[in-house]
Amino acid sequence: MSALIDVRNLSKSFGKVKAVDDVSFSVAAGEVYGLLGPNGAGKTTTLRVLATLLKPDSGGATVAGHDVLKAPEAVRASIGVVNGGMGLYDRLTGREILYYFGRLYDLEEQQIERRIAELDDLLDLRDTLTRRAGGFSTGMAQKIVIARAVLHDPPVIFFDEATSGLDVVARRAVVDFVRDYPSKGRAVVYSTHVMSEVEELCDRASIIYRGRKIAEDSVDELKRSNGSNSIEEAFFRLVSRVDMGHEEVR
Amino acid sequence: MRPVMIWRVARKEILSTLRDTRAIVSNLLIPLVLMPVVMLGMPLLLGGLFEREATNITPIGVVGMSNLPAEFVAVLEAQNVELVPVDDGVTAVQNGDVDVVIGVTEPLAAALAGNGSGTISIYSKQGNMKSELDASKVQQAVAIFQQQVVALRLVDAGLDPSVLQPLQVQNVDASTAAERSSGQFSWLIPFFIAIWTLTGGQMTAVDATAGEKERGTLEVLLVAPVRRTEVVVGKFLATLTFGLSAALMAIVGFLIGGALLSAVFLPRLGDQGAEIVSMMGGGLNVNLLSIVVLVISALLLAALVAAVLIGISLFARSFKEAQSYIAPLSFVFIIPVVLLQFKDLIGLGNEAYLIPVFNVLLLMDDVVRGVVDPGRLALVWGSMLVLILLLLGFAHRNFQREEVIFRS
Repeated sequence: MSALIDVRNLSKSFGKVKAVDDVSFSVAAGEVYGLLGPNGAGKTTTLRVLATLLKPDSGGATVAGHDVLKAPEAVRASIGVVNGGMGLYDRLTGREILYYFGRLYDLEEQQIERRIAELDDLLDLRDTLTRRAGGFSTGMAQKIVIARAVLHDPPVIFFDEATSGLDVVARRAVVDFVRDYPSKGRAVVYSTHVMSEVEELCDRASIIYRGRKIAEDSVDELKRSNGSNSIEEAFFRLVSRVDMGHEEVR
Repeated sequence: MRPVMIWRVARKEILSTLRDTRAIVSNLLIPLVLMPVVMLGMPLLLGGLFEREATNITPIGVVGMSNLPAEFVAVLEAQNVELVPVDDGVTAVQNGDVDVVIGVTEPLAAALAGNGSGTISIYSKQGNMKSELDASKVQQAVAIFQQQVVALRLVDAGLDPSVLQPLQVQNVDASTAAERSSGQFSWLIPFFIAIWTLTGGQMTAVDATAGEKERGTLEVLLVAPVRRTEVVVGKFLATLTFGLSAALMAIVGFLIGGALLSAVFLPRLGDQGAEIVSMMGGGLNVNLLSIVVLVISALLLAALVAAVLIGISLFARSFKEAQSYIAPLSFVFIIPVVLLQFKDLIGLGNEAYLIPVFNVLLLMDDVVRGVVDPGRLALVWGSMLVLILLLLGFAHRNFQREEVIFRS
């Protein structure tokens, strides 16, 4: 089976700023793929193009076999998205929010109930289902955000800085979920600037810096080829090489 | 567009607004209570004040009390006035001792003798309602006294007082009965619909669009496989629901207020009362057809306002930004109402029936006067439908634009 996500020479600018510059990668079923880079490197823009929210200037991508430009609706039906800054509807309960989105994905009532029960086991949703979201802690809110993203059991899931703004316990819950969520036949893209999360979760990762992909390999190989003990050390070696090259070009 | 998806989007917005106590109070309760309070409160308050002013004994200052002829004093006192001697007119009024002072520097009786003339000064604070009201009593007394003097002089000269009025003028109203009972306030209902749809739909519109951006819920909604048109139309329908319910409540409140008003005041007024009722548009012969026309026009007007709300608040980044765009809108609706008052002067052609909002006011006016022209009706409804679709198209286009969705 071919890759579930295939990104080819993707570029996207905002005005004069090149947010994403000729980025390509592919993710196979069963793989957790990391996008590692500092804030503003172009990770979010890349994922927004894959989620059909932004149109690329050039290049393209297919997600679950659907072209993001030609079949955006089919792409949207195949993906789940978890962002760091995602909010919920304050005056609805967790269950009502999940029902609302389940209905937008055209799920039947029994399907939604069954998925809520499954996700309750995985995420320990408990009283987030019956309480209104306005009173949630950030950790509780993020559980519903995750449950909402995977409610329709999508083959492709994007996590974009999904742990930002969370406390230690809530952060742990998100990381545990990504690690334990059944990965068979599924592709996960995990975008973050937190090196330890990539080390723990990702099979392969690319390092994104100033809109460009500057390295891509398995996490172990990224460390080894840069003579580093940690992914953080490898990251800074790679980045400083790019910055030096940048200086020479000038 | 799939109707079931539109309904799912709309239902969530309706549920969310229903849970918002503040929105419900300002949507449904305030218009219901406010309308009767304003309608009854103002006349009760003002009526009470004027009545008290008219019957109370008003103190009036006088400079040069001895210069006033006894006949003039009698006329003044008949106006419920008590005369108080003061030293200086300007200072007495400025100090607030009295609100009005009469100043007479020479003995008036002597000045008027032998067809002579005298001077009388009235000191009042112009622009002060109480002072002007008191001054009008004095002016009325002066006018009566003046007539008495003139009548005496004419008799002395051997003339009948009627020589001063050689022409008798008769005013005959040549308008038809329909025009007379044209309901000069027929603009009130469409005006309420526009204003209260704006107020009532605002919360839902802003919450469903700019609010989703601010809370960070819009992105995930746009990632769901629901079409943008379905989202826009669903949110529009939820806005329309609350806008219309607020407008309905205001109309119910208006009717309650009207019923109370006629129960409290009309018996006191007698014939004048019937005239007021027909001015307000009451007692009209409104048949079934004109009711259908009125209801459809009202629905279109509410839909237009709801579409404006969705278009504007989708463009805004946050609650605050959306509200600052919406606030001046209620002022905009006053312009066509003012314009309507001058419609006879302007001399309106068919083009006027294309001006949004104003055309609904014109149509309502035509309906109550019973002169609805089918061509003009088509112009009004057609132009409104086109405008609503354009506004929803604008909202939909904004939903497609990256810089509007991710404006923060």
